[in-house]
Amino acid sequence: MKSHIFKACFAAILLLLAVQGANAGDIVVISNSNISVSADEVRDIFLGEKQFAGSTKLVVIDNAAMQSGFLSKFLNMEASKYNGIWTKKSFRDGLTPPAVKSGDAEVIEFVKQTPGAIGYVSTRPAGVKVIQ
Amino acid sequence: MVETIDIVTTHAKQWKAPGLFSALIVGGCLVIAVPAFAKVIDAPTQTVNAPAKPVYASTDAEQIKVLQDKLDTMQDQLSQMTSGLASRSTSGEGLPIHGFMDIGFATNSNRDPLTADPSGFYVGSLSFYLTPHFGDRVKALVEPNFEIPPDGSVAVDLERVQIGYTFSDNATAWAGRFHTPYGYWNTGFHHGAQMQTSVLRPRFLDFEDKGGVLPAHMVGLWGTGKARAGNGKFTYDAYAGNGPKIVDADIGGVLDINQAGDDNHQAMMGFNLGYEFSGMMDGLRLAVHGLNGDVNAYAANQAFLNTTTLNMVGGSVVYLSNEWEVMGEYYRFSDKDKSGGTGTHTSWADYLQIGRSFNDLTPYVRFERTVLSQLDSYFNNQVSGQSYARQALGLRYNLNPKAALKFELLNSSFKEDLTGTTPRTAYGYRSFYAQYAIGF
Repeated sequence: MKSHIFKACFAAILLLLAVQGANAGDIVVISNSNISVSADEVRDIFLGEKQFAGSTKLVVIDNAAMQSGFLSKFLNMEASKYNGIWTKKSFRDGLTPPAVKSGDAEVIEFVKQTPGAIGYVSTRPAGVKVIQ
Repeated sequence: MVETIDIVTTHAKQWKAPGLFSALIVGGCLVIAVPAFAKVIDAPTQTVNAPAKPVYASTDAEQIKVLQDKLDTMQDQLSQMTSGLASRSTSGEGLPIHGFMDIGFATNSNRDPLTADPSGFYVGSLSFYLTPHFGDRVKALVEPNFEIPPDGSVAVDLERVQIGYTFSDNATAWAGRFHTPYGYWNTGFHHGAQMQTSVLRPRFLDFEDKGGVLPAHMVGLWGTGKARAGNGKFTYDAYAGNGPKIVDADIGGVLDINQAGDDNHQAMMGFNLGYEFSGMMDGLRLAVHGLNGDVNAYAANQAFLNTTTLNMVGGSVVYLSNEWEVMGEYYRFSDKDKSGGTGTHTSWADYLQIGRSFNDLTPYVRFERTVLSQLDSYFNNQVSGQSYARQALGLRYNLNPKAALKFELLNSSFKEDLTGTTPRTAYGYRSFYAQYAIGF
């Protein structure tokens, strides 16, 4: 009986780790094809520190469905701190916080249509640049 | 079949018919029987190798087609909705307007001359800020503020009216009325009560009419930016504008930022140079700052009294992480008396605030101290220019990311100094503040 319970728990733990591992890795940063940014610029871009790629104004968007994972993986911060940073950026520097799209489909479509757009999704879609 | 053949051959033998006739009869039977037998043999083979096709009623196929058509229609509609939503851009969608608002309750053991509000509930301030953009590089920032001064009226002020141009990630130029960028607190929080952890600002950094000894606002030009340096970023602010004047210096002077023009036609200039660390020390910022310019003092009847060259240098240390907020600033003054010939006078002021977050709760503590020479006309002419020490102990609770409740207990003591034209007597008080602040 105990061995069965142990095996069930072990299997559940393995499954949980596998699911978490899959979620943490399934975040892809994408950009409009007309800009060129590097992976190490992603943090600065999403914190409002980098506003231009060459002469093109960057248009940063958030993905409501993926934001928690993105903030944890790429910015190492919680949503409250992220929102606080953008409130200060807006208050001090007059910047506009990123618009929030509902999910992957909306983000992908916006990034494809908008010069300078950059966002993050859970797949590697065609028609956009994959940064990271 | 076999019996038929036996009957035929038996009768053939009985009649003793010729063998050819028998053969013909047998052959005819075989010709008829073999194909039939072969057919019987083939049929089972066909059944095993090719399963019979399922037979649908015509209505099932039609139903499937109907469902498929519906699915295609829904997919098209979803694609159109997604495309339509995604094509909405954030720019050009009206004027972004945000702001802060706070109300509270205060009680004091003894009145502070500058915050002479009686104990009780109070309306803090309602501050809007608008951030319109005009293209990719031109932007503006406007901040009208409504507040209740001690006399209970409603005061309206244009805290910021600035127009900027972003040359690059490294350089933005602003013109207009802006928050003077010395230290960290003045530009980091200013009228944003919900943004700052504590209820009150450090007293010597408060606004000009609330105890501050420095011009919290300036009208002029301001260049600011950041540049990557090593693993971190170098930050800079350089500004020049109308220096302040001290008005009503003979009856309790306050700083006037000269927003309609500079009374002495001499620009006040300042800088703030810093470095933001990354990596292991991510969140740490070190900076040095300075401010220099002539300040005239006038009596209540607008008679000129004196001129002092304000000469300030100092630094700031800020560490921000998910859990910690540590802020400290130091200001050292070497002000020169240009009127009375008393020479240069040294003063200093500093504060240190430490807060630690436990989810939505943030307890904090702050220590402030100023040692302001009363031989320095710049301080002696201001009602807020008295040396003091203050300790604050507080607690902030975030109701949600946009609203906070704060409670703050303060102990303030003001130092006696009889050396200046305006004598300073010692006094002290304790005060308690409760504040409900929101940001939108």
